Amino acid sequence: MKRTSNILVFAALAGGALLAACNTGENHRKPGRIYMPDMYDSRAYEFYSPRLAGLKPVEGTVKRGELLPYHVKEGDTALANTIKNPLTNITEADLAEAKRIYNIYCGICHGTNLDGNGPLYKGGEGPFPAAPANLAAGGPKAHLTQGRLFYVMTYGWNTMGSYASQLDREQRWKIAAYIKSVQGEKIVPAPDAAPVTETASPAASDGDTTQVKE
Amino acid sequence: MTGPALKGVQERWPSGELLHQWIRNSAAVLATGNEYATNLYNEYNKQAMPAFPSFTDEDIDNILAYIAQESTKEQGGAQAGTGAAAGGAAQDSGDNSLLFGIITLVLAIVALILMQINSNLNKLAADKEGVATPEPVPFYRNKAYIALGIVVLFIVGGYFTINGAIGLGRQKGYMPEQPIHYSHKVHVGMNQINCLYCHAGAEKSKHAMIPSENICMNCHKAISEYTGPDLFTAEGKKINGTAEIQKLYDYVGWDPQQQQYTKPGRPIEWTRIHTLPDHVYFNHSQHVVAGKQQCQTCHGPIQDMDEVHQFAELSMGWCINCHRTTKVQFAENKYYSIFEKFHQEVKDGKIDSVTVEMVGGTECQKCHY
Repeated sequence: MKRTSNILVFAALAGGALLAACNTGENHRKPGRIYMPDMYDSRAYEFYSPRLAGLKPVEGTVKRGELLPYHVKEGDTALANTIKNPLTNITEADLAEAKRIYNIYCGICHGTNLDGNGPLYKGGEGPFPAAPANLAAGGPKAHLTQGRLFYVMTYGWNTMGSYASQLDREQRWKIAAYIKSVQGEKIVPAPDAAPVTETASPAASDGDTTQVKE
Repeated sequence: MTGPALKGVQERWPSGELLHQWIRNSAAVLATGNEYATNLYNEYNKQAMPAFPSFTDEDIDNILAYIAQESTKEQGGAQAGTGAAAGGAAQDSGDNSLLFGIITLVLAIVALILMQINSNLNKLAADKEGVATPEPVPFYRNKAYIALGIVVLFIVGGYFTINGAIGLGRQKGYMPEQPIHYSHKVHVGMNQINCLYCHAGAEKSKHAMIPSENICMNCHKAISEYTGPDLFTAEGKKINGTAEIQKLYDYVGWDPQQQQYTKPGRPIEWTRIHTLPDHVYFNHSQHVVAGKQQCQTCHGPIQDMDEVHQFAELSMGWCINCHRTTKVQFAENKYYSIFEKFHQEVKDGKIDSVTVEMVGGTECQKCHY
Protein backbone atom coordinates (compact mmCIF):
# COMPACT_ATOMS: atom_id res chain seq x y z
CA MET A 1 0.00 0.00 0.00
CA LYS A 2 2.71 2.43 1.07
CA ARG A 3 4.84 1.49 -1.93
CA THR A 4 1.98 2.10 -4.39
CA SER A 5 1.31 5.55 -3.03
CA ASN A 6 5.00 6.41 -3.14
CA ILE A 7 5.14 5.38 -6.78
CA LEU A 8 2.04 7.46 -7.45
CA VAL A 9 3.61 10.47 -5.77
CA PHE A 10 6.80 10.23 -7.76
CA ALA A 11 4.88 9.71 -10.99
CA ALA A 12 2.82 12.81 -10.27
CA LEU A 13 5.94 14.84 -9.49
CA ALA A 14 7.83 13.67 -12.53
CA GLY A 15 4.82 14.27 -14.78
CA GLY A 16 4.32 17.71 -13.30
CA ALA A 17 7.95 18.66 -13.82
CA LEU A 18 7.79 17.42 -17.42
CA LEU A 19 4.65 19.41 -18.19
CA ALA A 20 6.02 22.47 -16.43
CA ALA A 21 9.08 22.25 -18.67
CA CYS A 22 6.81 22.50 -21.71
CA ASN A 23 5.43 25.73 -20.39
CA THR A 24 7.88 28.15 -21.96
CA GLY A 25 7.23 31.30 -19.97
CA GLU A 26 8.29 34.82 -20.98
CA ASN A 27 10.35 35.96 -23.93
CA HIS A 28 11.03 32.56 -25.28
CA ARG A 29 12.40 31.92 -28.68
CA LYS A 30 10.66 28.57 -28.96
CA PRO A 31 6.92 28.08 -29.10
CA GLY A 32 5.13 26.10 -26.41
CA ARG A 33 4.02 22.52 -26.84
CA ILE A 34 0.61 21.74 -28.25
CA TYR A 35 -1.51 18.70 -27.67
CA MET A 36 -3.34 16.92 -30.46
CA PRO A 37 -1.67 18.70 -33.40
CA ASP A 38 -4.28 17.22 -35.72
CA MET A 39 -6.85 19.44 -34.04
CA TYR A 40 -4.49 22.38 -33.92
CA ASP A 41 -3.23 22.60 -37.49
CA SER A 42 -5.80 22.94 -40.18
CA ARG A 43 -6.22 20.09 -42.61
CA ALA A 44 -8.28 22.30 -44.84
CA TYR A 45 -6.59 24.92 -47.00
CA GLU A 46 -5.64 27.85 -44.84
CA PHE A 47 -4.04 31.11 -45.79
CA TYR A 48 -0.71 30.71 -44.04
CA SER A 49 0.16 27.26 -45.33
CA PRO A 50 3.40 27.38 -47.34
CA ARG A 51 1.64 26.07 -50.43
CA LEU A 52 -0.98 28.78 -50.52
CA ALA A 53 0.73 31.91 -49.24
CA GLY A 54 1.17 34.68 -51.78
CA LEU A 55 -1.14 33.27 -54.43
CA LYS A 56 -2.99 35.64 -56.71
CA PRO A 57 -6.69 35.26 -57.49
CA VAL A 58 -7.46 33.03 -60.44
CA GLU A 59 -7.11 34.89 -63.72
CA GLY A 60 -10.35 36.27 -65.07
CA THR A 61 -12.35 36.00 -61.86
CA VAL A 62 -14.02 38.80 -59.94
CA LYS A 63 -14.81 38.63 -56.24
CA ARG A 64 -18.43 39.12 -55.25
CA GLY A 65 -19.18 42.80 -54.79
CA GLU A 66 -15.93 43.84 -56.45
CA LEU A 67 -15.61 46.30 -59.31
CA LEU A 68 -14.91 45.08 -62.82
CA PRO A 69 -11.27 44.48 -63.73
CA TYR A 70 -9.13 47.26 -65.07
CA HIS A 71 -7.83 46.46 -68.51
CA VAL A 72 -5.36 49.26 -69.15
CA LYS A 73 -1.90 47.77 -69.63
CA GLU A 74 1.11 49.10 -67.80
CA GLY A 75 2.68 51.94 -69.78
CA ASP A 76 -0.47 52.95 -71.63
CA THR A 77 -0.86 56.25 -69.83
CA ALA A 78 -2.63 57.92 -72.76
CA LEU A 79 -5.51 55.48 -72.43
CA ALA A 80 -5.37 55.60 -68.64
CA ASN A 81 -5.88 59.37 -68.68
CA THR A 82 -9.23 58.97 -70.43
CA ILE A 83 -10.73 56.29 -68.20
CA LYS A 84 -13.66 57.60 -66.18
CA ASN A 85 -14.38 56.70 -62.59
CA PRO A 86 -16.92 53.85 -62.63
CA LEU A 87 -18.26 54.98 -59.26
CA THR A 88 -20.66 57.53 -60.68
CA ASN A 89 -22.51 58.54 -57.56
CA ILE A 90 -20.03 59.04 -54.80
CA THR A 91 -21.51 60.32 -51.56
CA GLU A 92 -20.08 62.43 -48.77
CA ALA A 93 -19.78 59.26 -46.71
CA ASP A 94 -17.71 57.68 -49.48
CA LEU A 95 -15.41 60.67 -49.50
CA ALA A 96 -15.03 60.51 -45.73
CA GLU A 97 -14.11 56.85 -46.03
CA ALA A 98 -11.74 57.69 -48.89
CA LYS A 99 -10.10 60.32 -46.72
CA ARG A 100 -9.54 57.73 -44.02
CA ILE A 101 -7.98 55.29 -46.48
CA TYR A 102 -5.96 58.05 -48.11
CA ASN A 103 -4.53 59.07 -44.74
CA ILE A 104 -3.47 55.50 -44.01
CA TYR A 105 -2.04 54.44 -47.36
CA CYS A 106 -1.14 57.67 -49.18
CA GLY A 107 -0.79 60.30 -46.45
CA ILE A 108 2.30 58.59 -45.04
CA CYS A 109 4.24 59.97 -48.06
CA HIS A 110 1.98 62.47 -49.84
CA GLY A 111 0.88 64.10 -46.60
CA THR A 112 -2.61 64.33 -45.20
CA ASN A 113 -2.86 67.78 -46.83
CA LEU A 114 -1.84 66.28 -50.20
CA ASP A 115 1.20 68.58 -50.19
CA GLY A 116 3.72 65.81 -50.76
CA ASN A 117 5.13 66.21 -47.27
CA GLY A 118 4.07 63.19 -45.24
CA PRO A 119 5.74 61.86 -42.08
CA LEU A 120 8.12 59.66 -44.11
CA TYR A 121 9.51 62.68 -46.01
CA LYS A 122 9.09 65.53 -43.51
CA GLY A 123 10.64 68.12 -45.81
CA GLY A 124 13.73 65.98 -46.32
CA GLU A 125 14.26 65.03 -42.67
CA GLY A 126 12.41 61.74 -42.84
CA PRO A 127 13.92 58.48 -43.99
CA PHE A 128 12.41 58.73 -47.48
CA PRO A 129 14.98 60.45 -49.71
CA ALA A 130 12.84 61.45 -52.70
CA ALA A 131 10.18 64.14 -52.43
CA PRO A 132 6.72 62.60 -52.98
CA ALA A 133 4.48 64.25 -55.56
CA ASN A 134 2.57 67.30 -54.42
CA LEU A 135 -1.08 66.55 -55.16
CA ALA A 136 -2.53 69.73 -53.71
CA ALA A 137 -4.68 72.14 -55.69
CA GLY A 138 -2.59 74.32 -57.98
CA GLY A 139 0.35 71.93 -57.59
CA PRO A 140 2.27 70.30 -60.43
CA LYS A 141 0.08 67.17 -60.34
CA ALA A 142 -3.29 68.88 -60.02
CA HIS A 143 -4.06 68.38 -63.71
CA LEU A 144 -4.00 64.55 -63.47
CA THR A 145 -7.35 62.96 -64.18
CA GLN A 146 -8.99 60.42 -61.89
CA GLY A 147 -8.18 57.78 -64.50
CA ARG A 148 -4.50 58.66 -64.33
CA LEU A 149 -4.48 58.71 -60.53
CA PHE A 150 -6.05 55.27 -60.56
CA TYR A 151 -3.42 54.10 -63.05
CA VAL A 152 -0.61 55.33 -60.81
CA MET A 153 -2.11 53.64 -57.76
CA THR A 154 -2.49 50.43 -59.73
CA TYR A 155 0.92 50.21 -61.38
CA GLY A 156 3.05 52.68 -59.45
CA TRP A 157 5.04 55.57 -60.88
CA ASN A 158 8.75 56.28 -60.56
CA THR A 159 9.68 55.40 -56.97
CA MET A 160 6.11 54.79 -55.92
CA GLY A 161 5.07 51.15 -55.96
CA SER A 162 1.79 49.54 -56.85
CA TYR A 163 -0.94 49.72 -54.24
CA ALA A 164 -3.13 47.15 -55.95
CA SER A 165 -2.32 44.54 -53.33
CA GLN A 166 -3.41 46.77 -50.46
CA LEU A 167 -6.36 48.65 -51.96
CA ASP A 168 -9.07 47.04 -54.02
CA ARG A 169 -10.31 48.74 -57.16
CA GLU A 170 -13.21 50.47 -55.45
CA GLN A 171 -10.97 51.89 -52.75
CA ARG A 172 -8.53 53.18 -55.39
CA TRP A 173 -11.30 54.89 -57.35
CA LYS A 174 -12.65 56.43 -54.17
CA ILE A 175 -9.21 57.80 -53.34
CA ALA A 176 -8.89 59.21 -56.87
CA ALA A 177 -12.23 60.94 -56.39
CA TYR A 178 -11.18 62.17 -52.96
CA ILE A 179 -7.97 63.69 -54.33
CA LYS A 180 -9.90 65.52 -57.02
CA SER A 181 -12.48 66.69 -54.51
CA VAL A 182 -9.76 68.16 -52.29
CA GLN A 183 -8.32 69.85 -55.36
CA GLY A 184 -11.68 71.56 -55.73
CA GLU A 185 -13.46 69.44 -58.29
CA LYS A 186 -17.12 68.78 -57.66
CA ILE A 187 -17.45 65.06 -57.02
CA VAL A 188 -20.60 64.59 -55.00
CA PRO A 189 -23.68 65.05 -57.19
CA ALA A 190 -26.50 67.36 -56.19
CA PRO A 191 -27.81 66.55 -52.70
CA ASP A 192 -31.15 65.28 -54.00
CA ALA A 193 -29.44 62.40 -55.79
CA ALA A 194 -30.50 59.00 -54.52
CA PRO A 195 -28.27 57.57 -51.78
CA VAL A 196 -25.98 54.83 -53.01
CA THR A 197 -24.97 51.64 -51.30
CA GLU A 198 -21.34 51.53 -50.30
CA THR A 199 -20.42 48.42 -52.26
CA ALA A 200 -21.95 47.11 -55.40
CA SER A 201 -24.86 44.87 -54.42
CA PRO A 202 -24.19 41.13 -54.71
CA ALA A 203 -26.82 40.81 -57.40
CA ALA A 204 -25.14 43.46 -59.51
CA SER A 205 -21.73 41.91 -59.07
CA ASP A 206 -23.07 38.53 -60.14
CA GLY A 207 -23.99 40.19 -63.36
CA ASP A 208 -20.49 41.62 -63.50
CA THR A 209 -18.92 38.21 -63.16
CA THR A 210 -20.83 36.84 -66.11
CA GLN A 211 -19.76 39.78 -68.22
CA VAL A 212 -16.13 39.14 -67.46
CA LYS A 213 -16.11 35.59 -68.75
CA GLU A 214 -14.32 35.64 -72.02
CA MET B 1 -10.01 56.71 -27.79
CA THR B 2 -11.43 59.32 -25.48
CA GLY B 3 -8.56 61.77 -25.40
CA PRO B 4 -4.94 62.37 -26.29
CA ALA B 5 -2.09 60.60 -24.55
CA LEU B 6 -0.74 62.83 -21.83
CA LYS B 7 2.91 62.07 -22.41
CA GLY B 8 4.79 65.24 -23.31
CA VAL B 9 1.66 67.34 -22.86
CA GLN B 10 3.60 70.39 -21.68
CA GLU B 11 5.73 70.46 -24.83
CA ARG B 12 2.66 70.29 -27.00
CA TRP B 13 0.69 73.16 -25.54
CA PRO B 14 1.64 76.65 -26.68
CA SER B 15 1.79 78.03 -23.14
CA GLY B 16 1.69 76.64 -19.62
CA GLU B 17 -0.84 79.26 -18.57
CA LEU B 18 -3.24 78.08 -21.24
CA LEU B 19 -2.74 74.46 -20.25
CA HIS B 20 -3.70 75.30 -16.67
CA GLN B 21 -6.87 76.99 -17.87
CA TRP B 22 -7.59 74.04 -20.13
CA ILE B 23 -7.31 71.52 -17.31
CA ARG B 24 -9.44 73.63 -14.99
CA ASN B 25 -12.17 74.37 -17.50
CA SER B 26 -11.72 73.20 -21.07
CA ALA B 27 -15.01 74.65 -22.25
CA ALA B 28 -13.85 78.17 -21.34
CA VAL B 29 -10.68 77.78 -23.41
CA LEU B 30 -12.70 76.46 -26.33
CA ALA B 31 -14.98 79.48 -26.04
CA THR B 32 -11.99 81.79 -26.59
CA GLY B 33 -11.48 80.09 -29.97
CA ASN B 34 -7.89 79.06 -29.30
CA GLU B 35 -6.67 77.20 -32.38
CA TYR B 36 -4.76 74.38 -30.68
CA ALA B 37 -7.61 73.69 -28.28
CA THR B 38 -10.21 73.68 -31.05
CA ASN B 39 -8.17 71.30 -33.18
CA LEU B 40 -7.69 68.98 -30.24
CA TYR B 41 -11.40 69.07 -29.46
CA ASN B 42 -12.32 68.25 -33.05
CA GLU B 43 -9.70 65.55 -33.34
CA TYR B 44 -11.23 63.59 -30.48
CA ASN B 45 -14.78 63.66 -31.77
CA LYS B 46 -15.75 66.69 -29.73
CA GLN B 47 -15.61 64.85 -26.45
CA ALA B 48 -15.50 67.47 -23.74
CA MET B 49 -13.15 67.02 -20.80
CA PRO B 50 -14.94 67.54 -17.48
CA ALA B 51 -14.07 70.78 -15.72
CA PHE B 52 -12.09 70.61 -12.48
CA PRO B 53 -12.74 74.02 -10.89
CA SER B 54 -11.53 72.80 -7.50
CA PHE B 55 -7.94 72.25 -8.73
CA THR B 56 -5.46 74.81 -7.49
CA ASP B 57 -2.48 75.84 -9.61
CA GLU B 58 -0.33 73.75 -7.32
CA ASP B 59 -2.50 70.66 -7.91
CA ILE B 60 -2.18 71.06 -11.64
CA ASP B 61 1.56 71.58 -11.42
CA ASN B 62 1.84 68.39 -9.39
CA ILE B 63 -0.13 66.45 -11.99
CA LEU B 64 2.03 67.85 -14.79
CA ALA B 65 5.20 67.04 -12.86
CA TYR B 66 3.97 63.49 -12.44
CA ILE B 67 3.23 63.21 -16.16
CA ALA B 68 6.68 64.59 -17.00
CA GLN B 69 8.32 62.14 -14.63
CA GLU B 70 6.44 59.17 -16.03
CA SER B 71 7.21 60.28 -19.59
CA THR B 72 10.96 60.22 -18.99
CA LYS B 73 10.72 56.96 -17.09
CA GLU B 74 9.02 55.30 -20.04
CA GLN B 75 11.73 56.48 -22.40
CA GLY B 76 14.42 55.12 -20.11
CA GLY B 77 12.69 51.77 -19.96
CA ALA B 78 12.36 51.59 -23.72
CA GLN B 79 16.09 52.19 -24.14
CA ALA B 80 17.02 49.57 -21.60
CA GLY B 81 15.60 46.69 -23.54
CA THR B 82 12.68 45.13 -25.27
CA GLY B 83 9.82 43.12 -23.91
CA ALA B 84 10.56 44.26 -20.39
CA ALA B 85 7.14 45.83 -20.00
CA ALA B 86 5.27 42.60 -20.53
CA GLY B 87 7.54 40.68 -18.20
CA GLY B 88 7.30 43.27 -15.44
CA ALA B 89 3.84 42.53 -14.12
CA ALA B 90 4.30 38.78 -14.05
CA GLN B 91 7.70 39.18 -12.42
CA ASP B 92 6.26 41.10 -9.47
CA SER B 93 3.63 38.52 -8.56
CA GLY B 94 6.19 35.75 -9.00
CA ASP B 95 8.52 37.41 -6.49
CA ASN B 96 5.77 37.71 -3.90
CA SER B 97 4.65 34.11 -4.08
CA LEU B 98 8.27 32.97 -3.79
CA LEU B 99 8.62 35.06 -0.62
CA PHE B 100 5.45 33.59 0.89
CA GLY B 101 6.64 30.12 -0.02
CA ILE B 102 9.96 30.62 1.76
CA ILE B 103 8.24 32.01 4.87
CA THR B 104 5.85 29.05 4.95
CA LEU B 105 8.73 26.62 4.63
CA VAL B 106 10.70 28.28 7.43
CA LEU B 107 7.67 28.29 9.72
CA ALA B 108 7.00 24.64 8.94
CA ILE B 109 10.58 23.69 9.83
CA VAL B 110 10.39 25.70 13.05
CA ALA B 111 7.11 23.97 13.96
CA LEU B 112 8.67 20.58 13.27
CA ILE B 113 11.68 21.33 15.46
CA LEU B 114 9.44 22.57 18.28
CA MET B 115 7.37 19.41 18.07
CA GLN B 116 10.52 17.30 18.29
CA ILE B 117 11.75 19.27 21.30
CA ASN B 118 8.36 18.93 22.94
CA SER B 119 8.30 15.16 22.54
CA ASN B 120 11.89 14.85 23.75
CA LEU B 121 11.13 16.92 26.85
CA ASN B 122 8.02 14.84 27.49
CA LYS B 123 10.14 11.72 27.26
CA LEU B 124 12.74 13.15 29.65
CA ALA B 125 10.05 14.15 32.09
CA ALA B 126 8.49 10.70 31.88
CA ASP B 127 11.89 9.04 32.41
CA LYS B 128 12.52 11.17 35.46
CA GLU B 129 9.24 10.21 37.01
CA GLY B 130 9.98 6.58 36.22
CA VAL B 131 7.00 6.09 33.94
CA ALA B 132 7.77 3.57 31.26
CA THR B 133 7.31 4.95 27.76
CA PRO B 134 7.10 2.90 24.60
CA GLU B 135 10.20 2.97 22.37
CA PRO B 136 9.79 6.11 20.21
CA VAL B 137 9.24 5.55 16.50
CA PRO B 138 11.68 7.48 14.26
CA PHE B 139 9.83 10.18 12.31
CA TYR B 140 10.41 8.56 8.94
CA ARG B 141 8.49 5.53 10.08
CA ASN B 142 5.83 7.46 11.89
CA LYS B 143 2.59 6.86 10.02
CA ALA B 144 1.22 10.35 10.62
CA TYR B 145 4.36 11.94 9.18
CA ILE B 146 4.33 9.68 6.14
CA ALA B 147 0.67 10.44 5.47
CA LEU B 148 1.36 14.17 5.79
CA GLY B 149 4.32 13.90 3.41
CA ILE B 150 2.24 12.07 0.84
CA VAL B 151 -0.50 14.66 1.00
CA VAL B 152 2.01 17.50 0.58
CA LEU B 153 3.67 15.76 -2.35
CA PHE B 154 0.30 15.19 -4.00
CA ILE B 155 -0.60 18.83 -3.65
CA VAL B 156 2.74 20.06 -4.99
CA GLY B 157 2.82 17.49 -7.79
CA GLY B 158 -0.80 18.20 -8.67
CA TYR B 159 -0.11 21.91 -8.80
CA PHE B 160 2.70 21.49 -11.30
CA THR B 161 0.75 18.93 -13.30
CA ILE B 162 -2.31 21.13 -13.65
CA ASN B 163 -0.24 24.22 -14.36
CA GLY B 164 1.77 22.44 -17.00
CA ALA B 165 -1.35 21.01 -18.59
CA ILE B 166 -3.00 24.44 -18.72
CA GLY B 167 0.15 25.83 -20.31
CA LEU B 168 -0.02 23.33 -23.16
CA GLY B 169 -0.85 25.05 -26.41
CA ARG B 170 -0.37 28.54 -24.97
CA GLN B 171 2.49 30.66 -26.14
CA LYS B 172 2.21 33.95 -24.34
CA GLY B 173 5.54 35.77 -24.60
CA TYR B 174 6.64 33.73 -27.62
CA MET B 175 9.19 35.84 -29.48
CA PRO B 176 10.81 33.86 -32.29
CA GLU B 177 13.80 35.10 -34.23
CA GLN B 178 12.57 36.28 -37.60
CA PRO B 179 14.50 35.93 -40.86
CA ILE B 180 14.85 39.72 -40.97
CA HIS B 181 15.10 41.85 -37.83
CA TYR B 182 12.02 43.87 -38.68
CA SER B 183 11.35 46.43 -35.97
CA HIS B 184 7.74 47.51 -35.48
CA LYS B 185 9.08 50.21 -33.20
CA VAL B 186 10.99 51.83 -36.06
CA HIS B 187 8.18 51.50 -38.61
CA VAL B 188 5.12 52.15 -36.48
CA GLY B 189 6.47 54.02 -33.49
CA MET B 190 9.02 56.30 -35.13
CA ASN B 191 7.81 56.59 -38.72
CA GLN B 192 4.09 56.58 -37.92
CA ILE B 193 3.09 54.05 -40.55
CA ASN B 194 -0.43 52.87 -39.83
CA CYS B 195 -0.85 49.17 -38.99
CA LEU B 196 -3.29 48.82 -41.87
CA TYR B 197 -0.73 50.09 -44.37
CA CYS B 198 1.00 46.71 -44.30
CA HIS B 199 -1.69 44.54 -42.69
CA ALA B 200 -4.34 45.69 -45.14
CA GLY B 201 -6.33 42.50 -44.69
CA ALA B 202 -7.30 43.31 -41.11
CA GLU B 203 -10.28 45.33 -42.36
CA LYS B 204 -11.26 43.06 -45.20
CA SER B 205 -10.57 39.51 -44.26
CA LYS B 206 -10.26 36.88 -41.60
CA HIS B 207 -6.50 37.37 -41.70
CA ALA B 208 -4.63 40.59 -41.00
CA MET B 209 -2.08 39.33 -43.55
CA ILE B 210 1.66 39.19 -43.32
CA PRO B 211 2.49 41.85 -45.92
CA SER B 212 3.86 40.67 -49.22
CA GLU B 213 7.31 41.86 -50.24
CA ASN B 214 6.06 44.44 -52.73
CA ILE B 215 4.61 46.35 -49.76
CA CYS B 216 8.07 46.48 -48.15
CA MET B 217 9.47 47.69 -51.45
CA ASN B 218 6.95 50.55 -51.65
CA CYS B 219 9.31 52.41 -49.34
CA HIS B 220 12.50 50.38 -49.44
CA LYS B 221 13.07 50.94 -53.13
CA ALA B 222 14.19 54.37 -51.96
CA ILE B 223 15.15 53.76 -48.33
CA SER B 224 18.25 51.57 -48.49
CA GLU B 225 19.96 52.43 -45.24
CA TYR B 226 18.99 52.64 -41.62
CA THR B 227 19.99 55.81 -39.83
CA GLY B 228 17.85 55.69 -36.70
CA PRO B 229 18.88 54.81 -33.14
CA ASP B 230 20.76 51.56 -32.53
CA LEU B 231 18.74 48.36 -32.64
CA PHE B 232 19.27 45.40 -30.36
CA THR B 233 17.89 41.89 -30.19
CA ALA B 234 16.28 40.68 -27.00
CA GLU B 235 19.61 39.07 -26.10
CA GLY B 236 21.33 42.45 -26.43
CA LYS B 237 23.08 41.74 -29.72
CA LYS B 238 23.48 44.85 -31.84
CA ILE B 239 21.69 44.86 -35.16
CA ASN B 240 22.96 46.57 -38.29
CA GLY B 241 19.79 48.04 -39.76
CA THR B 242 21.29 48.63 -43.20
CA ALA B 243 22.36 45.00 -43.42
CA GLU B 244 18.81 43.94 -42.53
CA ILE B 245 17.46 46.04 -45.42
CA GLN B 246 20.05 44.35 -47.63
CA LYS B 247 18.56 41.00 -46.56
CA LEU B 248 15.21 42.21 -47.87
CA TYR B 249 16.87 43.12 -51.20
CA ASP B 250 18.34 39.62 -51.38
CA TYR B 251 14.90 38.11 -50.88
CA VAL B 252 13.18 40.21 -53.52
CA GLY B 253 16.12 40.27 -55.93
CA TRP B 254 16.46 44.04 -56.00
CA ASP B 255 19.73 45.69 -56.93
CA PRO B 256 19.92 49.06 -55.14
CA GLN B 257 22.79 50.24 -57.37
CA GLN B 258 20.99 49.62 -60.65
CA GLN B 259 17.62 50.47 -59.06
CA GLN B 260 15.90 47.48 -60.61
CA TYR B 261 14.97 43.88 -59.93
CA THR B 262 17.82 41.73 -61.18
CA LYS B 263 16.99 38.32 -59.70
CA PRO B 264 13.77 36.37 -59.22
CA GLY B 265 12.35 36.98 -55.76
CA ARG B 266 11.65 34.36 -53.13
CA PRO B 267 9.30 34.57 -50.18
CA ILE B 268 10.47 35.63 -46.75
CA GLU B 269 9.54 32.83 -44.40
CA TRP B 270 8.39 34.82 -41.39
CA THR B 271 7.75 32.77 -38.29
CA ARG B 272 4.17 32.94 -37.24
CA ILE B 273 3.68 34.13 -33.66
CA HIS B 274 -0.02 34.51 -32.99
CA THR B 275 -1.87 31.37 -33.81
CA LEU B 276 -5.14 29.82 -32.79
CA PRO B 277 -6.03 26.14 -33.02
CA ASP B 278 -7.94 25.12 -36.10
CA HIS B 279 -11.07 24.48 -34.03
CA VAL B 280 -11.36 28.17 -33.18
CA TYR B 281 -12.74 30.62 -35.69
CA PHE B 282 -11.31 34.09 -35.43
CA ASN B 283 -11.94 36.89 -37.90
CA HIS B 284 -9.89 40.08 -37.92
CA SER B 285 -12.31 42.19 -39.97
CA GLN B 286 -15.14 41.34 -37.58
CA HIS B 287 -13.18 42.69 -34.64
CA VAL B 288 -11.63 45.67 -36.41
CA VAL B 289 -14.53 46.92 -38.53
CA ALA B 290 -17.69 45.92 -36.68
CA GLY B 291 -16.16 45.68 -33.20
CA LYS B 292 -13.97 48.76 -33.74
CA GLN B 293 -11.15 47.25 -31.69
CA GLN B 294 -7.67 48.71 -31.72
CA CYS B 295 -4.89 46.37 -32.83
CA GLN B 296 -3.17 46.99 -29.50
CA THR B 297 -6.06 45.50 -27.51
CA CYS B 298 -4.89 42.01 -28.40
CA HIS B 299 -1.40 42.56 -29.79
CA GLY B 300 -0.15 44.84 -27.04
CA PRO B 301 2.14 47.84 -27.46
CA ILE B 302 3.31 46.77 -30.93
CA GLN B 303 4.56 50.29 -31.63
CA ASP B 304 7.15 49.86 -28.86
CA MET B 305 8.31 46.38 -29.80
CA ASP B 306 11.55 45.89 -31.69
CA GLU B 307 10.87 42.20 -31.87
CA VAL B 308 7.26 41.18 -31.63
CA HIS B 309 6.18 38.80 -28.93
CA GLN B 310 2.78 37.37 -28.22
CA PHE B 311 1.24 39.83 -25.81
CA ALA B 312 -2.06 38.21 -24.97
CA GLU B 313 -2.75 34.75 -23.65
CA LEU B 314 -5.02 33.87 -26.62
CA SER B 315 -6.68 31.30 -24.41
CA MET B 316 -10.39 30.70 -24.39
CA GLY B 317 -10.74 32.26 -20.95
CA TRP B 318 -9.04 35.38 -22.25
CA CYS B 319 -11.42 35.61 -25.23
CA ILE B 320 -14.50 35.04 -23.11
CA ASN B 321 -13.45 37.54 -20.47
CA CYS B 322 -13.11 40.23 -23.09
CA HIS B 323 -16.46 39.32 -24.64
CA ARG B 324 -18.12 39.57 -21.24
CA THR B 325 -16.76 42.98 -20.40
CA THR B 326 -16.39 44.74 -23.73
CA LYS B 327 -19.18 47.09 -24.59
CA VAL B 328 -20.35 46.97 -28.17
CA GLN B 329 -20.30 50.27 -30.01
CA PHE B 330 -23.99 50.08 -30.56
CA ALA B 331 -24.82 53.51 -31.84
CA GLU B 332 -23.97 54.40 -35.44
CA ASN B 333 -22.90 50.85 -36.19
CA LYS B 334 -24.95 49.32 -38.96
CA TYR B 335 -23.67 45.86 -38.11
CA TYR B 336 -25.86 45.67 -35.01
CA SER B 337 -28.99 47.27 -36.44
CA ILE B 338 -30.92 43.98 -36.21
CA PHE B 339 -30.80 44.00 -32.40
CA GLU B 340 -33.93 46.11 -32.20
CA LYS B 341 -34.86 45.10 -28.68
CA PHE B 342 -31.53 46.25 -27.26
CA HIS B 343 -31.67 49.46 -29.25
CA GLN B 344 -35.11 50.13 -27.77
CA GLU B 345 -33.93 49.33 -24.24
CA VAL B 346 -30.93 51.62 -24.63
CA LYS B 347 -33.25 54.34 -25.83
CA ASP B 348 -35.63 53.76 -22.91
CA GLY B 349 -32.72 53.87 -20.48
CA LYS B 350 -33.33 50.32 -19.21
CA ILE B 351 -29.73 49.36 -19.99
CA ASP B 352 -26.86 51.76 -20.47
CA SER B 353 -24.71 49.60 -22.72
CA VAL B 354 -24.64 46.28 -24.53
CA THR B 355 -21.80 43.83 -24.02
CA VAL B 356 -20.57 41.37 -26.62
CA GLU B 357 -22.03 38.59 -24.49
CA MET B 358 -25.53 40.07 -24.83
CA VAL B 359 -25.34 39.90 -28.61
CA GLY B 360 -24.31 36.26 -28.47
CA GLY B 361 -20.57 36.70 -28.07
CA THR B 362 -20.19 33.79 -25.67
CA GLU B 363 -22.25 31.25 -27.57
CA CYS B 364 -20.15 28.15 -28.27
CA GLN B 365 -20.88 28.10 -31.96
CA LYS B 366 -19.81 31.70 -32.45
CA CYS B 367 -16.22 30.49 -32.50
CA HIS B 368 -16.43 26.69 -32.58
CA TYR B 369 -18.23 25.22 -35.54
